Amino acid sequence: MSAEPNAYAGHQPRMREATLLDRTIAHGGVMSIALFFIVCCLFFSVTTNAFLTAPNLLNIVRQSAPLLIVAAAMTFVITTGGIDLSVGSVLALTATLSAASLQAGIPWPVAILMMLALGALVGVIQGYFIAYERIPAFIVTLAGLSVIRGFALLITGGYSIPIEPTSPFVAIGRAWVFGIPAPALIATVVLVIAYIVFNETHFGRYVTGVGANAEATRRAGVDTRRIILWVYVLSGMAAAAAGIILAARLGSGSSNAGQGFELDVIAAVVLGGTSLFGGRGSLAGTILGALTVAVLANGLILSHLSPFFTPIVTGFIILVAIWLNFRLFRGGARGR
Amino acid sequence: MTDTSVSRVRMTGISKRYGALQSLDNASLDLKPGEVLGLVGDNGAGKSTISKVLSGAVIPDTGTIEIDGRTVSFTSPADARAARIEMVYQDLALCDTIDVAGNLFLGREPKRRLAGVPMLDKTLMHARARDMLSNLGIVIPDTRMKVENLSGGQRQSIAIGRAASFNPSVLIMDEPTAALAVAEVEAVLELIRTVSKRGVSVILITHRLQDLFLVCDRIQVMYEGRNVAERRIEDTNIEEVVNLIVGRKFAARSAGHPAERSVSA
Repeated sequence: MSAEPNAYAGHQPRMREATLLDRTIAHGGVMSIALFFIVCCLFFSVTTNAFLTAPNLLNIVRQSAPLLIVAAAMTFVITTGGIDLSVGSVLALTATLSAASLQAGIPWPVAILMMLALGALVGVIQGYFIAYERIPAFIVTLAGLSVIRGFALLITGGYSIPIEPTSPFVAIGRAWVFGIPAPALIATVVLVIAYIVFNETHFGRYVTGVGANAEATRRAGVDTRRIILWVYVLSGMAAAAAGIILAARLGSGSSNAGQGFELDVIAAVVLGGTSLFGGRGSLAGTILGALTVAVLANGLILSHLSPFFTPIVTGFIILVAIWLNFRLFRGGARGR
Repeated sequence: MTDTSVSRVRMTGISKRYGALQSLDNASLDLKPGEVLGLVGDNGAGKSTISKVLSGAVIPDTGTIEIDGRTVSFTSPADARAARIEMVYQDLALCDTIDVAGNLFLGREPKRRLAGVPMLDKTLMHARARDMLSNLGIVIPDTRMKVENLSGGQRQSIAIGRAASFNPSVLIMDEPTAALAVAEVEAVLELIRTVSKRGVSVILITHRLQDLFLVCDRIQVMYEGRNVAERRIEDTNIEEVVNLIVGRKFAARSAGHPAERSVSA
């Protein structure tokens, strides 16, 4: 009865192992931002003399350290399908409180630990309402944005609090270690740890799982609520660290610091190819996204253009990068 | 444990209400070691809900669950997994953006320690994932592929492979063959026979009534959240099962030609 045996046998398998091109397309988000980053760097290298010099490049990393640190934590938050709008306010609160506590004579290491604990506490409170009370993250952290900024203003009365320039605290923002600025070193350490945690640990895997299919992850025996709580603790602590670094670099704590900072952070993360719908995150993309934003701001100033071009250009790049992502690198965008 | 006097699973008086809907109303379920139970009923009869109660995904309002004679109370799917109860969910419960191996091991990824810090052992995961899939005859060329890029049949195979590969004592399958092609359905039925011979108890929920007669020892019929009937497979036929499901005499064409069924009647 086997009329055409050859019709059943002798085929090449229809599925093949993923090739390099497949993998490139699957990481389309990172590829398109890498492209933008390189184009920006080349453009400013050619059009300005000062851009491609070691001091300038180190300065870029030094200034973007708070952005890089918070964007790394925000990648975890957004990958779970959440958002944290309160990071700019937490940055302002910890910047002012670290200045205030140094003024009150608290030793600087204790002040740093207190600020990190405060950031974690903010994260626990917001994370509790999001994970256990199931209030949308946008609403909880929008409330947080308002309340926390309010506390910062209330404590300072709107003035900025100076930090003694002789305090060892300012070294966190100003010191150079082995020819590298301290904030850049701190940011690098944070990024390396974040990269490993995101890609190589169970926690990172469950963060992606919660964003991809929270119910499936729960049914697999994972305590998804604890995972969600933890990502907000991480973003709270990262924002506190950013506040400390900023206060140390500027030598004062201002309650008006970090206005709109949360939007820069979210822009950097989204530029890097992390999906706002959750389930798809890339720390490599986030680093490139944050650096692109920083390079743009720096390069436009060096080109003697108005710094007010920065938000305009950044906005366009967000749109074009995401558009490229959808059109050119379709693989990664399937079903979303 | 092949002592058939003690039930592997005994669920009694299980009730669950979702707002206005009484999803389960004093339902019960009994399952012997190595037994294959077919759970049938119309949509909304409570089949999926009672199986989710057993897998820990749904917490019942009332009722008791005994596993091997010991009363248990599952507060999360992790508890049920610890009791070696595995389930293939109707919606498959896969994470689209995680790769094949990651989905197979979701929730119990192998650890390795790097400077004392526990990390995912991806090498071991992929190696064991390949073994698991080939043991079950599932063809997926690359365990690094993301699940979203697979076909419906492949996705279903992965959900089945995940539930069957971790030495379960109870295997619950909710519509496991819905997206499968003919040969793949045969493979799943064969898998059910194999694991039940090893002493694994199986609960099979399906609308393909002919499959029940190929693998099940017993059929339990549910109707609007209650148990309405129970039959040994050798004492019934498709026509009777159809009538029990819809709750009245029903000359169902899907029950097939009467002459072909008279053997089992």
